Amino acid sequence: MWLIAKRDVLDNILSAKFLVGFFLCLVLIPFSVLLNIDAYGDRVLLAQQEQAQAERQLQETRVYSRVRPEIVKPPEALSVFSKGISDQVGHRVRVQLGEKPLLAEGTVQTHDNPLLTAFFSTDFSGVILIVMSLLALIFSYDLCTKEKEDGTLRLQLSNSLSRATLLAGKVLGVLLTLLPILVFCYLLSALIVLVSPRIALSGLEWQRLALLFIASMLLMMCYSMIGLLVSTSRKSSVPSLVICLFIWVLTVFIIPNAATFIASSFVKTESRDNLDAVIADLHKERSDLIREHRKQLPEPDLYLSMWSYSGGDAEYEDYGCTRLYFENVREQAAFTAPLFIDYADKKWPYQRSWWESLQHQRHISERLALLSPAGMFTAITNAVCYADASSQELFMERVRQYRETFIQYFIDQELFTDFRYVTPVEPADMMTADQMIYRLSGGEFRTMNALTEWGSRQADPFAYFGKLRQGDVHGIKPDDFDYLNLDDVPRFQWEHRTVLTGMQTVMVRALALILVTVILFYGAYLAFMRYDVR
Amino acid sequence: MLKAVILREIQNHLFNLRFQIGILVVVSAFAIGTISSLKGQEHRMLQYTDFESQFRENMREQAESNVGRLAVDKRIYLMKPRQNSFIADCKETYLPNVIEFSAWEVSTFMNKRGSANPFLNKFQEMNWTFIVTVIMGFLVLLFTFDSVSGEKEAGTLSLTLSNPLSRGTVLFGKWVATVLTTMIMLVLGILISMLVVTISGQTVLTAGLILEIVGFILFAFIFFLNMAAIGLLASVMTRSANVSLLICLSAWLLFAVIIPNSATFAAKRFFSIVSSQAVDERVDQAYDDLNNNAPEGSWSYRGSDPFYPRHELRADLMMKRMEARQRILKPHIQEMFRQFERTRMATVASPICLFEYLSESAVGGGYTRFRKTWDDMHLYQARLLQYFKDLDAADDDSPHWYNPVEDISTTRKPVPFSSVPLFQETAPDISNRIDAALIYVLVCVLYTVILFALSFVVFIRYDVR
Repeated sequence: MWLIAKRDVLDNILSAKFLVGFFLCLVLIPFSVLLNIDAYGDRVLLAQQEQAQAERQLQETRVYSRVRPEIVKPPEALSVFSKGISDQVGHRVRVQLGEKPLLAEGTVQTHDNPLLTAFFSTDFSGVILIVMSLLALIFSYDLCTKEKEDGTLRLQLSNSLSRATLLAGKVLGVLLTLLPILVFCYLLSALIVLVSPRIALSGLEWQRLALLFIASMLLMMCYSMIGLLVSTSRKSSVPSLVICLFIWVLTVFIIPNAATFIASSFVKTESRDNLDAVIADLHKERSDLIREHRKQLPEPDLYLSMWSYSGGDAEYEDYGCTRLYFENVREQAAFTAPLFIDYADKKWPYQRSWWESLQHQRHISERLALLSPAGMFTAITNAVCYADASSQELFMERVRQYRETFIQYFIDQELFTDFRYVTPVEPADMMTADQMIYRLSGGEFRTMNALTEWGSRQADPFAYFGKLRQGDVHGIKPDDFDYLNLDDVPRFQWEHRTVLTGMQTVMVRALALILVTVILFYGAYLAFMRYDVR
Repeated sequence: MLKAVILREIQNHLFNLRFQIGILVVVSAFAIGTISSLKGQEHRMLQYTDFESQFRENMREQAESNVGRLAVDKRIYLMKPRQNSFIADCKETYLPNVIEFSAWEVSTFMNKRGSANPFLNKFQEMNWTFIVTVIMGFLVLLFTFDSVSGEKEAGTLSLTLSNPLSRGTVLFGKWVATVLTTMIMLVLGILISMLVVTISGQTVLTAGLILEIVGFILFAFIFFLNMAAIGLLASVMTRSANVSLLICLSAWLLFAVIIPNSATFAAKRFFSIVSSQAVDERVDQAYDDLNNNAPEGSWSYRGSDPFYPRHELRADLMMKRMEARQRILKPHIQEMFRQFERTRMATVASPICLFEYLSESAVGGGYTRFRKTWDDMHLYQARLLQYFKDLDAADDDSPHWYNPVEDISTTRKPVPFSSVPLFQETAPDISNRIDAALIYVLVCVLYTVILFALSFVVFIRYDVR
């Protein structure tokens, strides 16, 4: 058996096929790896910028209502090998009270020019899939037919050699011919990764890369078996080749693509517009409640804020107000913040149901893609490289958990009802209306009424406000205060996973691939037993 | 004599296993592809109709209460799903499909949220273009790779040439015969597809559609000629069919995988443009400058009194802000268009890409359509603005201080909705399409002629023994 394998390997290695295959890998692998390292490097830069900006924004807050951490997911280094959907799903999430994180923001592919999404791009595993499946078929399509045509098959079988041994030897020969090419591809890409300054893999990632290699071996074996089966069931080489090439185009290019296309046509997703409408209704309901509550609050003595901000996520920031005004804002916030959290929970079932309809569509498309070994392989590589939907969902789930911890911290510290939620001004330093007018007008007016009375006598309605700029008062604008110390606020941790994270689906697919390979081999074995060698 | 060669070759093809499997795959792909395409179209249409009626309703409400609101509100126009997308979808799922505008400006374009499921792998719809490029392009190579080297191996080539036949005739005959055989498949597939379309009743067969189909077939013909020339060249270059096959497969990988997939990289490296982030920063900078230099009181607002003099200050400021933004954004958008077009030109080395762009012009979709709609939208916006200004001029309760974001200092009267100009998207007309296709046709024809001439020269010296 080993003798046969050795002879076949020698034969193959000296053939034009081997040269061309080798050459294809030599061109395609660096091409795909370099392109993707380049894209990865850009994404790392972008993520670093965004991370720095998010950090700055978080640190430069003076009130707790503006503490809304933005989480930036660092790009996966392994996406260089298989990028899956990583370009299409976002990588940024802002943690908010009024929104449970559902989808991430900031998709890479629309970052600079949305038109460019019309172009596709491939990756290392895509190249491995195309080239290895092709080579496996090309080396195996004429396993029996060629020897039969040459007449050597008869000669060999006239020796004391069982057909099974001969077949096993030949299969071994093909696999041993392909293995160096595959190893070469991986070594070459590993070398590029090691040399490139723009990427560094961790130990865990190297282990995942080894898994990728195993998956590629499975793919190679599966396609060799396809070629073998075709070869043993045909009498001459040319039809066998034609069938193999059709199978190649069908399984590698058509079925995985058609699977997604058919799923996207036949499996309906819920309409995003409807979801938006439902959410808009809930938001309206929420604003009505807030308005109602606001009406019931006692009026502040002076409707004046020297610096004011209010944002869309129960955010308030005020400076230069009277104590009663601050009290009013604080009560608004104390009502609004929990209400936002409630409404995030109310919106969630609708959002989740829309999200699930998208996932359902994806599930169907993945099931359909299982019709082709190439589809199985792609699903495996995407999962191994953390570039599939479940990896993204793992991240989003972590972000949602973090949001809960974050909110819990606010509740534990009773921040929603604290003045620090809306202003850094110490309660002891808050003034009455008269005190404030006195100081703002630089001592010209002792009471609020005096100024109002003076203002009503002036022709220019803005004269009133002019008077408020006379005094040089400390503590009425943001710059007068320090930033908050946020050391105690829980931070988001995106801990790294073990080698086996998310491997359940991978195992299922890999087993399916092995099963297909075994069945194919068995089929080929049966066919070869009955093969007419004349 | 040529006719005899062609007939013989066609016969050869027809009884060949490749043809039999090929036609099976092609016909089923046409049937399955069209059925799915129509199904997807149905769904898209439903969503579009919902969106569009909402859009109209919103405009009507605003027109009938306050035309000022109608003028300043930003709204998004959603492009209608194309009826002929079963021929070529031109990647419209991924291209921008909404345009944001108000009466004052056409501000931006984007891909509407919910257009594509982000969790799905990117895919090409299995429409006519996909079948022609991926399946039939491959078939043509399968037909031609051994047409010379195979005959040589079989020994029939020397026999053929022993007849009073010039080598040119033989090669030409093979070329034409392959393309004709493929055309038979294509026409059969198209007939099946049209049968499905007619039965579904979703699309009516109009003269325009027939013209588009004819255009598509014509472009497919050029594409097949090109691919067949590549196959022939590979075939005459070697003495063994096995080697020509390897050359063909490598060529196919180059055209179908390498070139199309390196486009994004080419765009980023060779035709890079300023990032949208940098543009946003410039806009913010311009806003800050204008805000800081705005006269005192520009932000004062008095809702009850449109004639409050400070409204004019802010109207002026807002107008300047809009103009400043447009001055930065417009060139940037033109840069984006240029980047996209250049990237396309960089991929024309692949006949498969070429055919994709040609089929886009044939059906009037994709980028060609987007660009036309984008330009038309500007014309419409000018019309809407003129309409609004006329209304404003006739209103004595308005101070006529144009403000592109607030309705305070211009007319706020209700108007009948029927008088409001609406945007009617028109498909690119024949001259638009020819404009878009011309360069690609020229490249494709030139490319084909060179390839065939090359294979002719090589064949003349071919050792037929």
